[in-house]
Amino acid sequence: MNTAPSAELHQMAAIGRLLTGIVHEINSPIGSIFSNNEVLLQSLATLHKLLEEPDPQAIEKAQRIIETCQALAAVDRIACERIRLVIRGLKSFSRTDSAEMRKVDLNEQLRDTLKLTQAEFRRRITVEVDLGELPEVECYPQMINQVFLNLLVNAGQAIVGEGVITVRSRLEAGQAHVSIADTGCGMTPQQQARAFQAGFSTKPLGEGTGLGLAISKEIIEEKHGGLLSFESQPGAGTTFHIRIPLRQGASRCESERA
Amino acid sequence: MNQNGHKPSVMIVDDEEMVITSLKAFLQLETDFEINGFTDPESAARFAENHRVDVAVSDYLMPKMNGIQLLSRLKELQPEASRVLLTGHADKQSAIQAINQVSLFQYLEKPWDNAQLLLVIQSGAERATLFRDLREKVDELDSAHSSLKNVQKRLIRAFL
Repeated sequence: MNTAPSAELHQMAAIGRLLTGIVHEINSPIGSIFSNNEVLLQSLATLHKLLEEPDPQAIEKAQRIIETCQALAAVDRIACERIRLVIRGLKSFSRTDSAEMRKVDLNEQLRDTLKLTQAEFRRRITVEVDLGELPEVECYPQMINQVFLNLLVNAGQAIVGEGVITVRSRLEAGQAHVSIADTGCGMTPQQQARAFQAGFSTKPLGEGTGLGLAISKEIIEEKHGGLLSFESQPGAGTTFHIRIPLRQGASRCESERA
Repeated sequence: MNQNGHKPSVMIVDDEEMVITSLKAFLQLETDFEINGFTDPESAARFAENHRVDVAVSDYLMPKMNGIQLLSRLKELQPEASRVLLTGHADKQSAIQAINQVSLFQYLEKPWDNAQLLLVIQSGAERATLFRDLREKVDELDSAHSSLKNVQKRLIRAFL
């Protein structure tokens, strides 16, 4: 894509900022799996011994051990599932399989990206997900994920303390419409006017590149013939709307563009 | 079991149920300690208001109250308890803050090593027991000292 390398750098920076959360997200399940594995091995050894002389007391103890092992096996499953989802989320950002244009389930892309931000959000932000039925959409999945990530990270940063992010998807007038709304600080009219301008950022130096929204707009509108718009109220929050046609080469989403 | 006939009491606080389940299973296998697990730091703090805690193992990043806030609350409530931070959020800043603010007994990182964790919890429990015993002895000494003083006063009065 011709937005590189700044777009790529921006994406790396966005993922980098999430890395602490991602590491935390994976460390707990790995710790659990390791610990459970030791306990399971020891339990099996104990069971082996108990079976040598199976008196009623030994059988009772063996039953308790089996219950513990079952609980730990269930934990392992949850832990592995957690790691798998995080890795899947990260994979959708790697270039190999998603840089080409293809038909994808946007809801699945949204869920993958949410998995990456969840670690960051889990402790203070409630994410409400309302995904409607969508046909497969022809797009560059990697770029679309980058837009989702940008908007979600922005939404999270706009919320000081606790708040809600609502992610919604719908099929509307033959277009896919995804909206990401936050209950954050919102933008002043001056900020709104410059929101898509490259290099403009309200974030402290080092936290924002000022490119996120400019890149997102280019991806949606230039690469996909879609439309990226928003409405914002200072103190109440911001909602971003992504509209893209289901097939590339079809008519562009010009209707709402002023 | 310690001198007073109590089983050491260990508190585990992590907003992830899976961590509590794993640690509980492991500690129950290896020790006869009483283990209480909490996914919510606020209920852990309430528990510590009226239950003895010898070792507290807490996660750092949790909703409502982080591990350092919880452990410093525990320090006010039960200064003898050994405080352990078990965190996957391995940044130096939080480690330094934890050690300085709540005088941590140990700082451990996730993923943890069971053998090391066991050692930390066992020595933490021993340390808490020693502290409590020491405080009891000091209290006994204090009351012995004040009753001696009374006797001395009465003696002086009797002879003067």
